[in-house]
Amino acid sequence: MKVEMFVIPGCSECAVARARLRAAAQEVAKNLEWRELNVLDDLDYAVELGVMTLPSIVIDGELVFSSTPTVAQLRDALIERHGARV
Amino acid sequence: MFTIGKLATLTSVSNDTLRYYEQEGLVQPAGKSPAGYRLYDKDSARRIHFIKHAQNCGFTLAEIRELLVLRSRDKACCGDVRTRAIEKKLQIENKIRAMKAMSKALDQLIAECANERRPVRECTIIAALERAISMPVQ
Repeated sequence: MKVEMFVIPGCSECAVARARLRAAAQEVAKNLEWRELNVLDDLDYAVELGVMTLPSIVIDGELVFSSTPTVAQLRDALIERHGARV
Repeated sequence: MFTIGKLATLTSVSNDTLRYYEQEGLVQPAGKSPAGYRLYDKDSARRIHFIKHAQNCGFTLAEIRELLVLRSRDKACCGDVRTRAIEKKLQIENKIRAMKAMSKALDQLIAECANERRPVRECTIIAALERAISMPVQ
């Protein structure tokens, strides 16, 4: 399972939230690939995926969150999409 | 202090536009003359220039209103504005992508219509557009 989070580096509060989300995702998914992408470095890829607001989270190529989800929302999304594999 | 006409001249926008900006809460007169005419100050002129520049960068009036709020908020930081600028860039890039796809679709239609002298009822572009219209919406 691949989770890609498009972010703008530099915001310390966002970094704390990201770390919390990543930890929660790792608890839910065994084979998790978590990538944090600087949207400015990967602009074309972000546009291709339909990212228009930040931060955005893409799960296995599908744009799922267009703003920071709660830990529970992310956990639910991962379980809903990949329940069989967790 | 300036009248609306003077402000319009200074900022190269029409009186109607200034009234519209006022209606939209983007700019407010600093006061009124004894005769009841709107009067504006230098800050109004700065705001109008700000609005025009932001429009040139693709921001809508609603987004500009948010930027103006951020501009005057003590706790806001440059990062808040930068995020909005990056999001606007993403939206513009998305539109460019969509428009390129439209242009490519038109290329195909233009290429298919090789004979310009054919009557319009045999026009392949019109036929292709009609086919597209009659396709069921997914």
